[in-house]
Amino acid sequence: MNPIYERVPWLLIARRNVARTPVRSALAALGIVIGVLAIASLGVFGATLQFSVTQNLGNIGNDLTVSPATSQGVQSLTDRDVRDVERAAASDVVVPVKQDRGVVSYGRERSIVPVYGIERPGELLAASDGRIPTPLRSGALVGSGLADRLDVHAGNSVTVDGKTYRVKAVLAQQSGITALNPGGGVVLPPAAVAGSGYDQIVVRAADARAANASAMAIRDRLNARQERVTVFEYASLSEQIGSVFDVVNTFLVGIGAISLVVAGVSILNVMLMSAVERRQEIGVLRAVGYQKRDVLVIMLAEAVLLGIAGGVAGVLLSVAAGLVINQVVLGDPLFTFAPRNLGYFAAAFAFAFVTSLASGLYPAWKAANRNPVEALRS
Amino acid sequence: MPVIETRGLTKTYESGPETVHALVDVDFAVEAGEFVSIVGPSGSGKTTLLNMLGLLDEPTEGRLSIAGRDATALDERERTQTRKRFVGFVFQQFFLIPTLTARENVEIPRLLDRDGETPERAADLLRKFGLGNRLDHRPSELSGGQKQRVAIARSLVNEPRLVLADEPTGNLDRETSSDILAEFRRICDEGVAVIAVTHDELVEEYVDRTVEIVDGELTR
Repeated sequence: MNPIYERVPWLLIARRNVARTPVRSALAALGIVIGVLAIASLGVFGATLQFSVTQNLGNIGNDLTVSPATSQGVQSLTDRDVRDVERAAASDVVVPVKQDRGVVSYGRERSIVPVYGIERPGELLAASDGRIPTPLRSGALVGSGLADRLDVHAGNSVTVDGKTYRVKAVLAQQSGITALNPGGGVVLPPAAVAGSGYDQIVVRAADARAANASAMAIRDRLNARQERVTVFEYASLSEQIGSVFDVVNTFLVGIGAISLVVAGVSILNVMLMSAVERRQEIGVLRAVGYQKRDVLVIMLAEAVLLGIAGGVAGVLLSVAAGLVINQVVLGDPLFTFAPRNLGYFAAAFAFAFVTSLASGLYPAWKAANRNPVEALRS
Repeated sequence: MPVIETRGLTKTYESGPETVHALVDVDFAVEAGEFVSIVGPSGSGKTTLLNMLGLLDEPTEGRLSIAGRDATALDERERTQTRKRFVGFVFQQFFLIPTLTARENVEIPRLLDRDGETPERAADLLRKFGLGNRLDHRPSELSGGQKQRVAIARSLVNEPRLVLADEPTGNLDRETSSDILAEFRRICDEGVAVIAVTHDELVEEYVDRTVEIVDGELTR
């Protein structure tokens, strides 16, 4: 006899019984396959979607904006504020921004657009045409959207509020959400923008954790005595988006779980039929000295074998589906093996195991507790 | 000392408004090595008595002892254990498990004991019954007589003191029946008691004695 069966002999009976009605067993296991596939591939699909969206969000979590605490009557940020922020966030890029609106005209086109006064725009923005001088002392940078609309190129001259500026660069289009996106406006030297002080300070840290540390340092330094500034952490935005996805994912996996429960019902059905058909055999087992518990274990083993077979097949198919999904959506099939996805595979398999065990309980209990005299009556 | 002994064994059950007396005050004993048949008309209580002797059913009244031990008041678990230790069963329809080979069927009663010697003992028993070349055949590949031999081998694998047979020749032709009864005779000669419930007159030629049961009472 096979050494496995020597150690767990009831498995022999269980396995042979599963093989006795191959089509029926295969169909019951197929139910589990579909359930596992639904849970795991919906989970993986959700994770892929989330990853793809957060990737589009880019490094938004690294950014902060510091703005005046308008609720406390502070209308603008001073040079002292900028220095304080620079000290608090010493290792980060700190870019003070003045903001206004102005009329831009080029040729016959006229348009009211946001106007930004930034001394060192090159630290946050990139050019698609021309070059961004650092610092920006003269000339203008035109946002990509506005440049398209006005058909402006580097080297042209535009008029902003009646003054003429040479276009030093057209800004590159920015994907996703960023703290500063002057795509529809123009960037001028700070002195060219009306108003004293700054409207916001954009701080870009190396990563989200550094951004959070900087935000706390800035609040400590500037708001210690009275509230002068409001710090907005973009990380909170991506966290919110993340938690929305978590809810969506749980919902998707929950739908998948329903199909696994249906699969459990089909195992229940198969096991009940099997218990009825093998009434006399089970009676014989009881007669030759099998305890109720032994019969219970044999029947449960059958149900669990179906669950395990279906679970393994389901996980393999889900991995295949994951590879395809991730290749198509992310272009990286190996994302299928991200820890979170491995968690979905494991959870789907565990759920299949538990479902089959739970489905087997009632038929097994019924078979084990049938009176052997009744069972043996022909 | 008898292998099995009953005193005043009585079984009654309610069937709708009526009370059925399946067994009435049965005193019965079988010695080791004895081959006893129980005969009687249908519904006379033969099978009920056999089930009682095999601890598959509980008496309403009376006492039952197996191998000198009182088995009347055992709980379900202990009765199963006692059955496993002392009793073997042979059935009219053989009741072999169709998914298991002849040898595995014989091993069944001891399969869960993880005893390394069981397979060899099962094979020995089958050889003894002339099935040495059928060890790995499934029941569907065996004739009726061969199936019943496998069933007898199964009843003996746990080295019982008592074999209970319910119509063991009921599904067999006359020649095969003779062979099977001769096997039972051999078993008795090795010291095992055999009790067979039967309609088959052929059995009378092989048994040491016959008891008759009519309406739940022993008459002979």
